[in-house]
Amino acid sequence: MKMRITALILLGSLLMATAAIACVGKTLVVGTTGTVQQDLMAQMISLLIQERTGTTVKIVKVDSNMAAHDALLKADLDMYVEYTGVGQVNILKKNPIADSAELYKAVKATYNEELNLIWLKPFGFEAKKLAPAGVAAEAAPVVRKDTLKKFPALARLINKLGGRIDAVVIGELETAAKTGEIKKVAREFLRSNRLI
Amino acid sequence: MSKYRKILSLLLLVVLPLAGCAGLSGPARNLGDTVINAEETWSGTVRINGVVTVKKGGSLTILPGTKVLFVRKDIDGDGIGDAEILVEGKLIARGTVAAPIIFSSAEEKPQPADWKYLYLDFARQADIEYIISEYAYSGIQVHFCKAKIKNSVFRHNIDGVRFSTVNIEVTGNRIYGNRHGIRYEERRSRAEVSGNDIRNNKIGIFAVTRSVDKANIHHNNIVDNDDYNAKLGIDQHHDVTLRQNWWGTTSSEKIARNFFDKKQDETLGRIRAPEPLAEPVAITLPIGIEEE
Repeated sequence: MKMRITALILLGSLLMATAAIACVGKTLVVGTTGTVQQDLMAQMISLLIQERTGTTVKIVKVDSNMAAHDALLKADLDMYVEYTGVGQVNILKKNPIADSAELYKAVKATYNEELNLIWLKPFGFEAKKLAPAGVAAEAAPVVRKDTLKKFPALARLINKLGGRIDAVVIGELETAAKTGEIKKVAREFLRSNRLI
Repeated sequence: MSKYRKILSLLLLVVLPLAGCAGLSGPARNLGDTVINAEETWSGTVRINGVVTVKKGGSLTILPGTKVLFVRKDIDGDGIGDAEILVEGKLIARGTVAAPIIFSSAEEKPQPADWKYLYLDFARQADIEYIISEYAYSGIQVHFCKAKIKNSVFRHNIDGVRFSTVNIEVTGNRIYGNRHGIRYEERRSRAEVSGNDIRNNKIGIFAVTRSVDKANIHHNNIVDNDDYNAKLGIDQHHDVTLRQNWWGTTSSEKIARNFFDKKQDETLGRIRAPEPLAEPVAITLPIGIEEE
């Protein structure tokens, strides 16, 4: 009995130590395809995570949405901002769905079940130029499921951006980002919305 | 003969102190990945290009005036230098006012996170006094052990002093120019944090999670931090009390304005600052002042 208790204590200590080590120095990686909108949203997510959890976040440029998707699958990225229409048609190679709510539901389910990737709440704006014919293109963060398991507060945190950035707001932010420092624009938005 | 002896003695009297001043006490010692299993003493300049581990049975004593310089190498590409000192055994790093021990970047243009950290993990013993730790990811990290960190300087790091699940004393230090001055996860810690000057960081005190108000953070100067003097992490739901500190004002409204807590996010606890001090705590530490 004593041996069992000792073994349990040892195991507990080891698990605690492992948990501490896991959270020390782990850097999260956010992707951007390099457009002003992508850079802005990557900065916003990065700042939000960094400021609220203390976790270091690195932003990495990728060539295209498909390259970002591949990097996400290979765990070279932890997350990036994708558009529902692009996910459904260009990445999953499925038929367009015109209704934006139905489309979000469909990509979310397929990504989760087949790819272990999670679509978080849409920000509240669409990128019409990126939308393949016949579909809406709501922007939302896509995150690796194992990243969310390692950082249980992450989904709740990033979802605080859900529904907060409509077409008018993203337009204003992009205009400001074109003439100013993107990081500063992102930070001011988060500060003014009392998110950091 | 005695004439020559006199001349030789005079020469030694002149040359030896000069040699010391000019750092001519010997070439720098270079260390890659290194394991210390026995007693070891460092002095002079030690350049680290890897991970130095002081194992459970090992003991590292760093003498006053020693410079420990970390080469930036980021093999995993996470933006944080890989060089570090990991202590599972014993570490004695006691500098002096005249000869503090310096832990810094070996780079010509040093940046925060050039090296990883001085990391105490289940350490047998750790006494840290009169050190300057700069340009690291964490100036010092302490987990699962007992440690004293006194009269030292932590500057230009991501985290100045970081701890969780410890029995720790952090007293008489200057902590400035970091992203987080002190960052902690209480997790049943017994922490006594007092007599420190915590200013000009982005965040002064960052209580990340699992704090139930057991860490005793009092009689510090916590002022002029860029974003907030104190902030709660996303999972800190319990209130945090920071009693009897100097906040630059005694107005509770102005003090609270520099906190990030329940005011901004309903799910967080509240930061309380009862009995604020009416004047700054006198910090007598004479090192690490000139570049503030």
